[in-house]
Amino acid sequence: MSDLIPVTVLTGYLGAGKTTLLNRILTENHGKKFAVIINEFGELGVDNDLVVDADEEVFEMNNGCICCTVRGDLIRILSSLMKRRDKFDGIIVETTGLADPAPVAQTFFVDEDVKRATKLDAIVTVVDAKHLLARLDDTKEAEEQIAFADLILLNKMDLVSEEEAVEVERRIRAINPMVELIRSTKSDVPISSVIGRDAFNLERILVREPDFLSGEDHHEHDSEVNSVAFEVSRAIDPEKFNTWMTDLLAAKGQDLLRTKGILAYPGEDRRFAFQAVHMIADGDYIGPWKEGDARKSKIVFIGRDLNRPQLRRGFEACQVEGAAA
Amino acid sequence: MSQAADPEFLLGQRGSSQELGAWVIGLAFGREGRSLHAGLGDGTVRVAQLAASNDWLTVEAHKGAVLSLCADAKDGALTGGDDGRVMRIAPDGTAHELAKFGSKWVEHVVAHESGIRAASVAKAVHVLDAKGEVMKSLAHPSTVGGIAFDAKGKRVAASHYNGASLWFVNAKEDKPRLLDWKGSHAAIAIHPEGGHVVTAMQEMSLHGWRLSDGQHMRMSGYPSKTHSLSFTNKGKWLATSGAEAVVLWPFFGGGPMGKAPTELAGGDAVMCTQVLCHPVHEMVAAGFEDGLVLLADINTGRVLPVAPPGHGGVSALAWNPSGSHLAFGTEAGFVGLLDLSAR
Repeated sequence: MSDLIPVTVLTGYLGAGKTTLLNRILTENHGKKFAVIINEFGELGVDNDLVVDADEEVFEMNNGCICCTVRGDLIRILSSLMKRRDKFDGIIVETTGLADPAPVAQTFFVDEDVKRATKLDAIVTVVDAKHLLARLDDTKEAEEQIAFADLILLNKMDLVSEEEAVEVERRIRAINPMVELIRSTKSDVPISSVIGRDAFNLERILVREPDFLSGEDHHEHDSEVNSVAFEVSRAIDPEKFNTWMTDLLAAKGQDLLRTKGILAYPGEDRRFAFQAVHMIADGDYIGPWKEGDARKSKIVFIGRDLNRPQLRRGFEACQVEGAAA
Repeated sequence: MSQAADPEFLLGQRGSSQELGAWVIGLAFGREGRSLHAGLGDGTVRVAQLAASNDWLTVEAHKGAVLSLCADAKDGALTGGDDGRVMRIAPDGTAHELAKFGSKWVEHVVAHESGIRAASVAKAVHVLDAKGEVMKSLAHPSTVGGIAFDAKGKRVAASHYNGASLWFVNAKEDKPRLLDWKGSHAAIAIHPEGGHVVTAMQEMSLHGWRLSDGQHMRMSGYPSKTHSLSFTNKGKWLATSGAEAVVLWPFFGGGPMGKAPTELAGGDAVMCTQVLCHPVHEMVAAGFEDGLVLLADINTGRVLPVAPPGHGGVSALAWNPSGSHLAFGTEAGFVGLLDLSAR
């Protein structure tokens, strides 16, 4: 539905430049009005008509899914904001530096009132090019913020050399090969690159493809977040895939931060798109395969402790029997 | 108000309606019996006199949106807004600020005829006396999802994450009885006889506590979140929204534990969004997502159509104290007022 209000989530460590980016979005002359949800312990003042102070309240859902958490404050605030919706074009949620983005994302998959009126537009993570490597070494939140990002602003580029920047980008890509990276100084980027991305739309899944051909394993350490991507050429049996994915998410959902896939089902001209945040999955048919394109099914996992051979065998075993389609 | 045309519905026979132009957050008849108040998503409160219901006064009550509205203790209405203020609206539409709580939202307000009021702001419930002074502020472990007074106005219950807290309003030492149950609790109601507390949960079920022995009551099976809970006047039934029918749980004969709920006015595959029991009779008014409003007699199951679908999902219902007038409001800003008194 087109009248859903887009919600942009801004994450990033304290001092990375999140609030600077937020203030740029709000002050640039784009004719749009935003409601802003910030944490009361925010770094700097935010200059906007509609600013809502939120306590980040992460609630567990008692639905048998151990990692299913939502942001209770967002559910309340978004539900109330909808009642005055004619007054703004979008909502921006700024999280605290230490926030895990998963509960924010899951709120948009789980809560019916939130889903009815809003959609997650993108998770934008601002990172400090100078200090990211140190953050990655000493905190798990920094990794999670990169793993969940649809767009990363590699900020404070004026403080690093080209070699340092390349190394930071390599580390980011090892965690999240699908993310779009923009280098910036003082969070100075075109607003259109941040707002209106529609990154959680199934239609846009894997628009930025990781390198499926690489046999390289970016494995650096078991506790670190990294990613694996596979592609197969025979069609995927929907029943086999559902069984495999259901079992996999139930067993490994805590470690699997994001999963995205595009599947070719037998005898189906449309592509099936699939995404999951931890254990919460969503999938639907999207547009048809392009004429003449090979109907290759693809899947990408971002998570911790990924068993690459096992995941590859699991995905390959979901193919229908017989020769390549 | 313009006269609605459709004679199939009560609104056409004995009602009038008005487009107010913004989401109706709450409706309340003043306890004095003359005024009707509508709190809107544009921050205004609109006030009509029952004697002249085509004239709606506009009161600029809140800077942003009205978040909650209820009948005030003696007359008029009480509102909470996202500008941090609690406002009192007199029956003639005169407004004044009772309290201000910084930039925090005042998400819920309730008032009791004894004169006492309560407002929830983030994790606190502020209790206000008859003069509007803050008597005490009650702290909770997380943001309050809903508040309710008991029938006598002696206790106030607040729902939150992992349960609800029940406080004696006049206690010398403020120490709540904690009713615990894992999960996030929002809408809350206290049984008219004071023996049970029920909440609606994020997990699309209800949870209740029998206060005499702490017995838990789980009421589940909803396809959607319940936003609206209402006991019949003597507490025999609890009417709830959140299903494609009005779901009523029996609070008699050992229920609701182990008893199936009664479903009324179902069958259209449209979600019930609001319920409100009649103040005197065992009758419930219900509003649906498509705008349909109806009255159902709980004992016979007989349904009277009140307003047809088409004016936006029903977001508010109100009865006047004697039960002679019913009002409903919708997300699209449509308000209907019905005079059901004998002619």
